[in-house]
Amino acid sequence: MRYDALVIGSGIGGMESALKLADMGYQVLVVEKEASVGGKMILLSKVFPTLDCASCISTPKMAATVHHPNITVLTHAEVTGIRRDGADRFQARILAKPRFVDTAACTGCRQCEMSCTVAVPDQFNADMVARRAAYIAFPQAVPKKAIIERAGTSPCTGECPAGIKAHGYVALVRAGRPEQAFNLVLEATPLVGSLGRACYAPCEGTCTRGELEGSVPIRRLKRFVADAHYATGQPPSVPVAESTGRRVAVVGSGPAGLTAAWQLALRGHQVKVFESAPRPGGMLRLGIPAYRLPNAVVDDDIANLTALGVEIATNTRIDNLAALRAGGFDAVLLAAGTHAPGRLRVPGEDLPGAVSALAFLRSAKLGRATTAAVAAPADVVAGTAPDGQTTMTDGVDVCGQRVAVIGGGNVAIDTARTALRLGAAEVHLVSLESREQMPAHDWEVTEALAEGIVAHPGWGVRRCRGAERVTGVALRRCTAVLDATGRFAPQFDDTDTIDLPCEVVIAAVGMAADTADFAASLPTNRNGTIAVDPGTLQTRLGYVFAAGDVVTGPSMITEAVGQGRRAAFMIDRWLSGHELDPVAFDDRLPVVDRQAVLSRQADHSRRGPLPPPAVPGHAPDDFAELEPPIAPQEVRSATARCLDCGVCSECHECVSACPADAIDLGMRAEEIDAEIGTVVLSTGFRLFAADAKPQYGYGRFANVITGMQMDRLLAPTRPYHTVLRPSDGKVPDRIAYVLCTGSRDQTVGNPLCSKICCMYSIKQNQLIMGTLPLADVAVHYIDVRTVGKGYDEFFEQAKGMGAEFVKGRVAHIDETDEGNLVLTYEDIDHGGGLATAEYDLVVLAVGVQPNPEVAALFGGLDLGLDEHYYVEEVNEDLDPGRTTIPGVYVAGAASGARDIPESILHAGAAVTQAAAHLERQRQPQRSAQQERTRVPA
Amino acid sequence: MSEPSPADRRIGVYVCSCGGNISDYVDVPQVIERVRDEPGVVVARRAMFTCSDATQQEIIADIRQQRLDGLVVASCSPKLHTETFRAVARRAGLNPYQYTQVNIREQCSWAHTDDHDGATGKAIGLVRAGIARTARTRPLEPITVETVPRALVIGGGITGLRAALALADLGLGVFLVEREATLGGWVGGFGAMFPHDRDGRTLIAGLVDRVRAREEITVFTGAEVVSRSGSFGNYRAGIRVSGTGTGIGANGGPDPKTAESITVEVGAVLVATGFDTYEPGEGELGYGQGGVLTLPQFKTLVDATDGPLTHQGRPVRTIAYIYCVGSRQPHGTPGANEHCSRFCCTATVHTALRVSARDASVRQYHLYRDMRSYGKYELLFDASRRAGSRYLKVVDDQPPEVAAQDGPAGGLTVTAHDALAGGEELALPVDLVVLVTGAVPRANEELTGVLKIPVGTDRFYNEIHPKLRPVETVVDGVTIAGACQGPKTSIEAVTSGLAAVAQSAAILKRGHAELDPLVAVVDPLACGWCDRCQDSCPYGAIGRAKRGESEVAVIDETVCKGCGGCVPVCPRDAIDLHGYTDTQITSMIDGLAEAVA
Repeated sequence: MRYDALVIGSGIGGMESALKLADMGYQVLVVEKEASVGGKMILLSKVFPTLDCASCISTPKMAATVHHPNITVLTHAEVTGIRRDGADRFQARILAKPRFVDTAACTGCRQCEMSCTVAVPDQFNADMVARRAAYIAFPQAVPKKAIIERAGTSPCTGECPAGIKAHGYVALVRAGRPEQAFNLVLEATPLVGSLGRACYAPCEGTCTRGELEGSVPIRRLKRFVADAHYATGQPPSVPVAESTGRRVAVVGSGPAGLTAAWQLALRGHQVKVFESAPRPGGMLRLGIPAYRLPNAVVDDDIANLTALGVEIATNTRIDNLAALRAGGFDAVLLAAGTHAPGRLRVPGEDLPGAVSALAFLRSAKLGRATTAAVAAPADVVAGTAPDGQTTMTDGVDVCGQRVAVIGGGNVAIDTARTALRLGAAEVHLVSLESREQMPAHDWEVTEALAEGIVAHPGWGVRRCRGAERVTGVALRRCTAVLDATGRFAPQFDDTDTIDLPCEVVIAAVGMAADTADFAASLPTNRNGTIAVDPGTLQTRLGYVFAAGDVVTGPSMITEAVGQGRRAAFMIDRWLSGHELDPVAFDDRLPVVDRQAVLSRQADHSRRGPLPPPAVPGHAPDDFAELEPPIAPQEVRSATARCLDCGVCSECHECVSACPADAIDLGMRAEEIDAEIGTVVLSTGFRLFAADAKPQYGYGRFANVITGMQMDRLLAPTRPYHTVLRPSDGKVPDRIAYVLCTGSRDQTVGNPLCSKICCMYSIKQNQLIMGTLPLADVAVHYIDVRTVGKGYDEFFEQAKGMGAEFVKGRVAHIDETDEGNLVLTYEDIDHGGGLATAEYDLVVLAVGVQPNPEVAALFGGLDLGLDEHYYVEEVNEDLDPGRTTIPGVYVAGAASGARDIPESILHAGAAVTQAAAHLERQRQPQRSAQQERTRVPA
Repeated sequence: MSEPSPADRRIGVYVCSCGGNISDYVDVPQVIERVRDEPGVVVARRAMFTCSDATQQEIIADIRQQRLDGLVVASCSPKLHTETFRAVARRAGLNPYQYTQVNIREQCSWAHTDDHDGATGKAIGLVRAGIARTARTRPLEPITVETVPRALVIGGGITGLRAALALADLGLGVFLVEREATLGGWVGGFGAMFPHDRDGRTLIAGLVDRVRAREEITVFTGAEVVSRSGSFGNYRAGIRVSGTGTGIGANGGPDPKTAESITVEVGAVLVATGFDTYEPGEGELGYGQGGVLTLPQFKTLVDATDGPLTHQGRPVRTIAYIYCVGSRQPHGTPGANEHCSRFCCTATVHTALRVSARDASVRQYHLYRDMRSYGKYELLFDASRRAGSRYLKVVDDQPPEVAAQDGPAGGLTVTAHDALAGGEELALPVDLVVLVTGAVPRANEELTGVLKIPVGTDRFYNEIHPKLRPVETVVDGVTIAGACQGPKTSIEAVTSGLAAVAQSAAILKRGHAELDPLVAVVDPLACGWCDRCQDSCPYGAIGRAKRGESEVAVIDETVCKGCGGCVPVCPRDAIDLHGYTDTQITSMIDGLAEAVA
């Protein structure tokens, strides 16, 4: 792209610059970092000294700017670098930031805003009220198009191996929409209830709120939405694609297989799941004890799937993939899990009374499922319907027996606690690792011990004792579990041994993929897992994909779910002839920095410490679900604690709400290069951060506000529709202004006068006296600097209306119990002593500060700044607006404090010279002649 | 093809809430309710901000989809948004002159905040009148005039000189007219100026050299603009060059050396005639006594000498500066200068710094009201205090007094109350009193009359709007810049001069300009030439021409401003005004009367 002029910033200086250049016939590119043109001026109430409404002056310029035939406007874009191109032209690189809304389709109807579940401070209302993450900047925005603010992926969502939009469903629950939250999880997996109970919730481990009083209970909120949905008995309401006519076989009905089947079914493929066990669910069904995951919940989850028409064939073991293919399946997903138990490899482990944990848990779970009626979750919690139990597990009866469980992982804990519930007299947990090093989650160990399980950490099994049956285990001290490189290589001290008498030994020492049946046709790894392309999960047989533990080895449910999603995505692409692009699968933005989230606000209202998790009682004798459902009031407080780290929660409500189908969360930033003849910098100024003057209490005292906030309170689009004070909504009777806040003040490093604050304060005085005729207004000042045309007359007018001007600086401000403010000030008008006065509301007339970042845009070129970091004007006396770089001009407050009329005139001066620069480019010869010396007559 | 009757028109009416500026006082839904069935109205809608881009887009869609042939927006003053909505009409394909702006903000909501019903009733009447007018509009085309690619710059001070160069840089010809015999204005007489300590004389000398080197610029000194005719884009300006004047002709242009009075043709005029400083009255704060100087006199004294400061042969050891002399005068005094002169605080501080730099032992007392060293100039104020200047804040109702000291030593005593010292009365014996005199508008009645530029209540030249059109005057193509518009520093004056160039160049570079077709027209069949219309025209737009045997009035549409002054004086009703025809005005009155009744 080629333009005559690049104007950076579209405040009043930028718009004026662009319009004047365009009127002269030049092609202008305007780059604005916000979502709308207009800068700060459009946010003001009225403008001095004419008291024109700021909107009325700004909106025509805004509209004229975007509609001018010679002007191209890029909003929500930033210039990232400018370099010289030849002697006097430039190359600019511009980053067009994603709006996540197709502006061509967006009609500005605000449906997305209304449906959005995230509220953040509204920067266009000086943070006094909230706006949504999906929003239109302000009512007069140009272009009036929605934008979705996304700081990145929230840590919880980013951490989820299943790619579930954790922040999204938390936000939906907070918004009182649990059914939509349920549907959002369904976008990833049908296993909402199972994950809501049995997921180890890595999301909670990374929750930013964990840095404060504790993480949001994300998993239990998921259980909340699952319980709420399943209580309705309704099938899932999800959009299903038209049938593709393609058939896919899924081998294995664990989390990976079920998730893949769900995703493929949603995409319109016909799916059949084959399961070798009598009941579907894989480890959910066979491995996780019912007190953590009731079978009824697994059934509910699977019913989501069958509601879409997915067939599940149980008791069907698949050992021939080619036969499936021949039987009419276009693709096969192998998701058989890891159901081969690990072995102790010690003498006596095959004695009767010694079993594997997998076999033990499986019979405990299946036995229960076959004997117990499905109980409603509430009843289970209430304990009125104890699980039907079986004490016979795979030929091992633990009732009344002493049981030794070997292993230190989560499976060992599950096994031990199951054995206890089945009536074991004693349950011993023998682990190589010390208590601290046990791979099981600490809270699980704690709960197990509370139930009465006896831990024997730091012991290894030497042998199982017994002749015909197990009578005990011989243990030896384990001195180290891992070698120096961190690999599993236990060391033992054979001089330190004990015997543990027991009738049952259950080995929970790992599990492996059982892939012998496929080894002939598919390459496998040494540990038996299937070899796949890790990005696409495709095997060497093109039509066979593999996912879940059979690929990764034993893992968490969420990881298997994530694998299932990925496999389904790839199979769908493979079936439709698309390239298998691993990058296309995960559309998440980079995860936001948690410290950045915390530093967004100076102060977080810390909630009280969270109640510790309930510890179960001693020796439970049933499989009733341990964890109670989350209480309604806890749902409210928990979701309210969410910090909305990524801003947009990805709840997808806007996607559903948008009638124009304009939302595109997959949008990404684009870089644009432009060839430019001249540059006008109109990057404006920043307002002084009032909390940098702590003695005035801004940020601590609710009723100390800034001048910009007062301007918003007075604006026609004002947030409260009248002037209120923030702490209690009272209409203030006594209002004080503190001029020179952050200006003329060496203590904050700014000796300069900010030039605009006297006049905007006086303007506000007049507007307040119009809005609140009974209010008293006092202005504490050093000098009143009303120097423009008609300005001193404006000052006199305010005095005439009753504004009181108090000469003397304010030392500090204190707050009373009622939220009033006591100013201690130097009372020069009455002898110069210290005096105090009490007000309802204090307005700090904050000054202006430079935006020095602009210099960084000019990589190899040296854009000079003055000693106060404003853009330097090299020959201000004759060429105001000219910078140190030939062809680069500055317009407005970027080079020093300027009010609106001054900025407009300064912009005119800058573009006159910018135009001359362009004319010299066009007619180099003529310009050489122009300056030729003539001998005066 | 006959025009549609008013009832057959397709008019869109939009009533604005202006945030709450209108809707807080005017019942906008009721206004719509009461006007939507008016003859010809097919669309009646409300908007939060009609001028917002989103609503503009809605109006455009309505015009296209509903095939509107008339548009009424009831919002704010036509001064603000007539052009905005004409542009909307144009973008939608509707003739922009079939648009009527109705002002229900300044004339209703803001004027009647205490009477909501009254404000609403008045708004209904005004909107009805607007609809009635619109229903009788005809498509009009703007009057296109070719523009002359040259500008006339009046005033050869720093603003005029820099503006002339800038115009030439953009490829435009310039005639620069200076009343004095030499170029340079105030700055040409200054030494070091704040804030960059650049020497005024040097700056001007450099500018003058560059101006004289440019063949596009023709300079007249000792010359005045004495007449102006023609219209926007094609002005003819008469320049009278006095005997002492010199000029440089170029490129076959007029040779002013041989011409006492010459005429130039220009497309635009840039007025940069500067300011005068306040001249204190005899005896005002001791003025007239030895040792009492104005700020310009004192600056000349400082500029003229090196080494220790002396005045009338006596060393100056102590100086009192009395601020705001001739500025910020109390409201109500006839001819008072109520304005702040903006530059004098900093100019005085800067001069005091130069005095301190020459001799740090000179005692300097500043008797100020508010120290207005705004923006970065605050640094100079800081520096002057560090250099030893003492600042005393005088209270407005206790002004300082200056008296000659008794005794042979002479000298002066300044008495003042210092608010910073608890209001204590101080008597300061000083060698010199500097009256910090500000800017006053320059006496330029002749030029003002020639150009017909309005002046404000402060008697400086007035722009149309300080933000929307800050360098333009109500006379098309005539811009104002520099201190003729109000007190400015040299840098600010140059800035506004360059801004005025941007404004002028946008028109002159295009080569043509469009004028409103809302002008008076004469029906030659009815006219009997009686010269009354010619006498009534303030713009000289009416002449007479032969038509067959008789003479009739003819109106130069490029000169006519559409003020309508000629229409009622015509004894034969031979003149009508495009856009505000008699029929339209009558229908508007009917519309208003209906609402009132």
